[in-house]
Amino acid sequence: MALEFDRSIIGQIFDETAFPPVTKEEILEFAAALGETNPFYTDEAAAAKGPYGGLVAPPTLVTKLRAKKFTPEHLPKFGKVGFDGGRDLEIFAPVRPGDQLTMLSTIHDIYEKTGRTGSMYFIVIRNEVKNQNGERVALIDHRIMQR
Amino acid sequence: MNTLYFEDIEEGDELPSIDMFLSKDQVRQYARTAGMYVPRFTDDEGARAEGLPGMIAPGVMSMGLLARMISDWNPAALITRIGTTFRSPVLPERNVHLRGAVTQKIEADHTVECDIWMENDDGERWVIGTATAKVPSKG
Repeated sequence: MALEFDRSIIGQIFDETAFPPVTKEEILEFAAALGETNPFYTDEAAAAKGPYGGLVAPPTLVTKLRAKKFTPEHLPKFGKVGFDGGRDLEIFAPVRPGDQLTMLSTIHDIYEKTGRTGSMYFIVIRNEVKNQNGERVALIDHRIMQR
Repeated sequence: MNTLYFEDIEEGDELPSIDMFLSKDQVRQYARTAGMYVPRFTDDEGARAEGLPGMIAPGVMSMGLLARMISDWNPAALITRIGTTFRSPVLPERNVHLRGAVTQKIEADHTVECDIWMENDDGERWVIGTATAKVPSKG
């Protein structure tokens, strides 16, 4: 099957979701679930004396943000089954308690790879996370595989 | 806290591995806190109904554990990029080994590049990736 779709879908913002403020408890719970012992993520008093001047979230906390729409409404289905292929995360600024995060979603890329088991389609969803100051916090590329 | 400075790190250094038994409860705890409390991550029967061999750990949990390995190695390291490929489903109630190595030091901005991966007892790499971290410098 040739990879045919309307390429104008790429790069268009299809979702913007605003999240309630990040809480200290949320950061501590997330850090605990990963077994983090780094005081910057686990200990408010110790973190206050560290380079961030306060508690910050472990870098992958932003991966828990869920867009209202995961994919655009008119995205064609390229395969029968979908898998989570991976994540690429770029971090620009730390997340702190009280931060109000917003996430913009675009389709970054769609491509085909042919391997031993046939063709696979990769859909890359890009989430851009900003904070209340308009500062870019993170870019998350989410690779979904379909076959 | 054991801060490692740029000058303390050599290309080829291995990151201290985290060898752990990944329990179902731990996966459920992650799923709960990450808002991913759905059958494939919480319950064997529900996961099998979706065609999986049993409940699995979310890919982003593996990514989070690999990020933790870097922060355990050097709490002062600031991760600026981490990329992971989920090669096979991570099944809990097994030992997993989080490993990594420094592949490159970049003098210009005092960053280090690392290969990172999660493997099982048989050395099969379920999750592979790379990360970039900025580390403090004595200079």
